[in-house]
Amino acid sequence: MARERVHPNYVAIWFWLVGLLIVSVGVTYLPIPTRITLFLIFATAVVKAGLVALNYMHLKSERLLIYAMAIVPVAIFFVLWVVLYPDIAIR
Amino acid sequence: MSARVGVEGPVSFWRTYVFSTDHKTIAKQYLAIGLSWAIVGGLLAYLMRWQLAYPETPVPGFGWVPEPHMVTGIIPPEFYNMLVTMHGTIMVFFVAMPILLGAFGNFLIPLMIGAQDMAFPRLNMLSVWTFALSSLVLLISFFVPGGAAAAGWTGYPPLSAKAIYTGVDWGLNLWILALALEFASFLMGGINFLTTTVNLRAPGLSMFRLPLLVWMQITAAVLFMLSVGPLIAGAVMLLLDRVAGTSFYLPEGGGDPLLWQHLFWFFGHPEVYVILLPGLGIILEILPVFSRKPIFGYRPFIYSTIAVGILSFIVWAHHQFLSGMDPRLAMPFSITTILISVPFALMVFAMIATLWRGSIRFPTPMLFTLGTLAVFLIGGLTGIFNGSAPVDIYIHDTYFVVSHFHYTLVAVTFFASFAGLYFWFPKMFGRMMNETLGKIHFWLTFLFFNAVFIPMFLLGAGGMMRRIANPMQYDFLQPLQPMNVFATIASILLLLGQIPFVINFFWSLFAGKVAERNPWQANTLEWTAPSPPPHGNFETVPVVYRGPYEYSHPSVTEDWLPQDRPAVPTAVS
Amino acid sequence: MAKTHIMAAGVETRTATGIPTGKMGVWWFLASEIVLFGGLIGVYIMSRLGSTGWPEMAAHLSVPIGTLNTFVLLTSSLTMVLAFAAVEKGDQKGMRTWLLWTVLLGLTFLVIKAFEWGSEIGAGFPLTAGGFWSFYYTMTGLHALHVLGGVVVNSILFLSALMGLLGRNEHRVELAGLYWHFVDVVWIFLFPLLYLSW
Repeated sequence: MARERVHPNYVAIWFWLVGLLIVSVGVTYLPIPTRITLFLIFATAVVKAGLVALNYMHLKSERLLIYAMAIVPVAIFFVLWVVLYPDIAIR
Repeated sequence: MSARVGVEGPVSFWRTYVFSTDHKTIAKQYLAIGLSWAIVGGLLAYLMRWQLAYPETPVPGFGWVPEPHMVTGIIPPEFYNMLVTMHGTIMVFFVAMPILLGAFGNFLIPLMIGAQDMAFPRLNMLSVWTFALSSLVLLISFFVPGGAAAAGWTGYPPLSAKAIYTGVDWGLNLWILALALEFASFLMGGINFLTTTVNLRAPGLSMFRLPLLVWMQITAAVLFMLSVGPLIAGAVMLLLDRVAGTSFYLPEGGGDPLLWQHLFWFFGHPEVYVILLPGLGIILEILPVFSRKPIFGYRPFIYSTIAVGILSFIVWAHHQFLSGMDPRLAMPFSITTILISVPFALMVFAMIATLWRGSIRFPTPMLFTLGTLAVFLIGGLTGIFNGSAPVDIYIHDTYFVVSHFHYTLVAVTFFASFAGLYFWFPKMFGRMMNETLGKIHFWLTFLFFNAVFIPMFLLGAGGMMRRIANPMQYDFLQPLQPMNVFATIASILLLLGQIPFVINFFWSLFAGKVAERNPWQANTLEWTAPSPPPHGNFETVPVVYRGPYEYSHPSVTEDWLPQDRPAVPTAVS
Repeated sequence: MAKTHIMAAGVETRTATGIPTGKMGVWWFLASEIVLFGGLIGVYIMSRLGSTGWPEMAAHLSVPIGTLNTFVLLTSSLTMVLAFAAVEKGDQKGMRTWLLWTVLLGLTFLVIKAFEWGSEIGAGFPLTAGGFWSFYYTMTGLHALHVLGGVVVNSILFLSALMGLLGRNEHRVELAGLYWHFVDVVWIFLFPLLYLSW
């Protein structure tokens, strides 16, 4: 069924994804402090995931309810992470 | 029932009763499996209660159980551990879930929203068949060498992580597998419930005109779907520890038993609300019908339900106050636990306000509804004691907790389910149940349930621990033993008190008075369909003009006003 | 009894929200999967923080192979969404071609993963070689099972399309795509977590 949907340039998104992949691997070879490396790797991961979710999964043009179904579960597992930290991460 | 005729012509027996995609048949399949397991769970309780009252004496009627499970009818401690484990597992996962969600949810949601069936009928059939498979796996676990799981329904490692600790090998592996299948089944069901309710509502049926039962069911579905994931991961890890030699939970290999507790209760706590909310939903439908008054505070009810849903995700560690977890977690979780009692209190007050100055009738469904309310109230109040960490230090893992959760869980799993069965039996099966037998059933159940569990509060406060096979081994418990005996006698009478229900149920199926479409003169859409509804439910698509609880409306002479009757003029005669 | 107008094709096509029912169903499913993988990843992160010696273990993973696999899966996401774009344009042949590529790339991912596991086990690092490895195999294994499931679904769609059986159910390509992209997103996080974060 034809929907009123903004049609992203899927191939352009793919180029961004591959580029970010190269960046995230390349960053590990640079002589920068570990914390910055970790931040950069996960920042690129978040951006890549966002690109896939918003464009390939068409979240950009979906209704609020669908957004909620993607975001609320993330908030929920963060709650688990926070409580696990004192018990599992710090022994 | 007329000849089985579907769209394409006559439908075979198998397609109608076994491989059916009709939500009503699927609901009855869940009901049948759930009620069957309830009998098993009750018998396991009988065995436990006998052992507690008369330790190391042969259990009447069970001399046939072979060694090493029972020894000339006497229960060894290992067998007692299995009883405790399987009673809990069966009642929570194989009685409460299938009856409250599988049966009532499946049967009522499409009918109450004016739909022909669920959004995904074939997925629905797959869900009940997955559940049947999980039941089979659990049943088989009783008969494998080593017997069924015996590490508690909570399955804490290290006890559960190595076969040598419990002596149970394949029984526990199958237990994990059965639960995994059960989770998959209810995930599928949850997708159906949510999608159906959100998308397939009849014209005019806004979310704020939905019966509260539907709101409760979908909140329960959301809670289940968003909490079960980490436990599925955790269960995979437990299975790997047991069969593949990993050490996710075994300290000697670098693992942490506390990890399991967090993963289990992160799901386990929302799970009890998954069970609770549908039970409340049932009584919320029955209360206005037999008070001939609208539900008091319809929207606050919905907001409270959502509040309970959200809060239920941040209370779980109140099960772990004594686990050795980081003590700084105790206060936040105590606070959130006490907080969650607020929306529940609101609901209880609203239910009482619904009754207030109503024109109250007391057929069996209403008796069980009021029974649910009374029993649940005690359960909820005693929960507050447990939720406060300083108090919980003394009552954790005692019979106080056992009594608390039986008051809450039995309220919804049995009292509310019975209320629902007596109430919707005419719609499900086209016949009325017998009122006299129903009333007898109620009074026996209510009386003996309280007789079993009130002493347990005292036993717990007196220091009797959970899951011990022989209380007489402890000097300080011996003065309390008469209460154990009392509870056991009451529990046997409670089990016998279910006989009127069994007789009533089966007799009414075949010889009950034929039911009309709307025997209770209720407003919600399921009562506009025939009793029982055919495949497709409604002759024409219903159109909804109002909310579900317009009883004793001033502008009509009757004391009920169905949702689908066209708007009445506001001028009063 | 005149019920034909309501008992038409079995499944309701009503939608009170305007969101297609099938899409809503798939998103509810994905919501539960998000918590599953998110929970598992969180457990891994916390365990990693609370343990020692894991970076040395992780050094035995092959970053080049992991990068290649990530590239394979990203590309399969592209081919999947192109299959859906073809459906929207009415291009039957294009849809089948892109679906086939998605299946092949998915299988490639699994083959590379199997090869990786084989070499890691051969080098003396099976599931029981320590905390890091237990998590590594469990997480990549659970993910691989999900990839396999997606490959099966896409193959069924491809074969149905090939045999002309897909009919008016072409929207299922979009639904399968949602699941496939989700599996890709999980790997987008697993890759840096397991291979790069040392």
